[in-house]
Amino acid sequence: MKALLALLLLLAGPGFAAPAKAKPAKPTVSATTTGDRGVSASAETPRSSAADDRVPLDLKLPKPAFIGTPRNVPAGTTVEKVSGKLRPPFRVPPGTVNLAAGLPAGAGGSEPLVGEAKLITDGDKEATDGSYVEFGRGLKSVTIDLGANGELAAILVWHYHGDPRVYHDVVVQVADDPDFITNVRTLYNNDADNTAGLGVGRDREYFETYEGRLIDAKLVKARYVKLWSNGSTADEMNRYTEVEVYGRPVK
Amino acid sequence: MSAMPRARKKAQPAVSRRDFLASAALAGASLILPGRTRAAPASAGAAKGSAGDIKVGLIGGGSQGRTLLVAAVKIPGVKFAAVADIWPYHSRYAANILKEYGHPAAVYEDYREMLAKASLDAVLIATPDWVHAEQTIAALRAGVHVYCEKEMANTVGDARAMVKAAAETGKLLQIGHQRRSNPRYRHAESLVNGEGVLGRITHVYGQWNRPKPLEQGWPKGSDLDAAALARWGYGSMEQLRNWRWYRKYASGPIGDLGSHQLDVFNWFLRVPPVSVLAAGGADVQPEHEWGDYTMGIYEWRPPTGPVRGYYQVLSSTSHGGYYEVLMGEGGSLEISEDPKVGFFYREPQAQRRQWEDEASRVSKMGRDAIELKIGETRKEAKRSRRAIEAEADARKPLHQPHLENFFDAIRGKVALTCPASEAFATAVTALRTNDAVAASTPLALAPAEFVP
Repeated sequence: MKALLALLLLLAGPGFAAPAKAKPAKPTVSATTTGDRGVSASAETPRSSAADDRVPLDLKLPKPAFIGTPRNVPAGTTVEKVSGKLRPPFRVPPGTVNLAAGLPAGAGGSEPLVGEAKLITDGDKEATDGSYVEFGRGLKSVTIDLGANGELAAILVWHYHGDPRVYHDVVVQVADDPDFITNVRTLYNNDADNTAGLGVGRDREYFETYEGRLIDAKLVKARYVKLWSNGSTADEMNRYTEVEVYGRPVK
Repeated sequence: MSAMPRARKKAQPAVSRRDFLASAALAGASLILPGRTRAAPASAGAAKGSAGDIKVGLIGGGSQGRTLLVAAVKIPGVKFAAVADIWPYHSRYAANILKEYGHPAAVYEDYREMLAKASLDAVLIATPDWVHAEQTIAALRAGVHVYCEKEMANTVGDARAMVKAAAETGKLLQIGHQRRSNPRYRHAESLVNGEGVLGRITHVYGQWNRPKPLEQGWPKGSDLDAAALARWGYGSMEQLRNWRWYRKYASGPIGDLGSHQLDVFNWFLRVPPVSVLAAGGADVQPEHEWGDYTMGIYEWRPPTGPVRGYYQVLSSTSHGGYYEVLMGEGGSLEISEDPKVGFFYREPQAQRRQWEDEASRVSKMGRDAIELKIGETRKEAKRSRRAIEAEADARKPLHQPHLENFFDAIRGKVALTCPASEAFATAVTALRTNDAVAASTPLALAPAEFVP
């Protein structure tokens, strides 16, 4: 009834005049940290920086494309509840940069349905056509060659944040060789039933948001980063909008 | 956790596809009666089961077109063969998705060439509102059944011409008000009009509040040149990508979103409204031709007495989301396409149904609400086959049941749940709401306006 009264008042008076134009939203710049649990980097992960030297990681986030808590949490999954809060700052060693920026990303021979693999590391994280590459159905992976070993602090991935969707079997691995045979370490795995065959994952599924997913890399040293996914609650295809690998070159 | 099942069984034709579809469509056409919205069993003699693939083309490979593709591509006996879109980025994207599912599709810039060359049985149309009539009428006259997204058209005249073309050609024209095939909505409608759980309905309310929409861009290097844009009626890539903001191309928020929910009211009340008073404008994004708020007050007059209704669509806040409420002397019903929103509230003095004893309950704003679970809120046995099937259908992608209804109607197995002749009333309701905004005064809606 409040709305009805408001409408009647609107029609009765000079309320049709449009208020001043609101300022357009600006891209948010925010420091972030992990809300993830169960990160499974190996126990011998090197720690070359003292924790108290660390500084907040600066991230340039895209415009939020949807706002609010998604309602349709799929039944029978491990999807974590959306807190509605921004990620707290994530601290990294000084000198940490995005080592993957502009580097070519490989897709293991998968032909994109739309876009190009280079969109994965081009810095454009917006949820709009032209910002993402989409691969076909089933388990797909993308690999980034950092060119040299890096000491990795965090990996961020935006699959697609234009609608509230959950990607399945998200696995993030690092290795010393492009074929992922030598010194393979799994940093994140939410494949609870081992559909991907990469081991049972204990991490949670999650709704994609404009903040992306931050995976604590625990300062692991590696040259190759591989990300897997297996369709989403939206459809069976696999989108990648952006991947960032934050770390420092190993001298 | 794996995604959806991947296996797809290809139907084996038992008779020639064209022969079967020609006879089945005739059988189906006889089932479509004025004012009839429920799916009907096939008439005697109508073929049963899949006797041949339905060869389908897509006109419009944008996000809504791709949503329809993904929902339809696994329906048994449906074979996509062609895609038409004026923008190669979209046509290639849609064709690649079809290829991924084993449906190699020819790509066309001009839908007219597709209709002439692709030998189709049906098309799905998911293009801007202003070309729906042109494309639908051309397809119908080419002998092709049509599933066209709402809003039917952005003028009443165009919508009426679409209904007329369907009648003249005898081809099916389904409009994309997918709630009409949604098992949860169909169950709710049967409770309201079958069991009469609301008693006399007195008021309805609905809303679709969403965040401020972002401007749609396009990939570098994918621009159509000025000549191509002009040939297809667009002044710029920005207009093509953000067509919903322009009066030439779209029907405004009441057509984009409100139409779905006004259709629910028209469907449940079984009559169109008799008046509308509305306000609208562009407070938040005044640079848009279509506004970011529309609020309407309606009156319906079913035989049980007047029904007063209020509806709002806001493109500046997502508060409260989207849902419809019907209120009556016996109770109220709240439902949304969001499957978590479906509740029945019985008035204390109203008749108690036997199924209430077994139904799930939740507390909603201090009231005892019965959850509208299909298997629990019905006269039939809780685990009846019908209930189990309906619950399974309710878990499909939102558009799939409506597409299944379209393809089953082509086969003559059912009637369309949203034939253009009925969707026309909703198009008039939405488009006349825009007229009421412009007039700033109540508009009487004569019954003749709703006659196609």
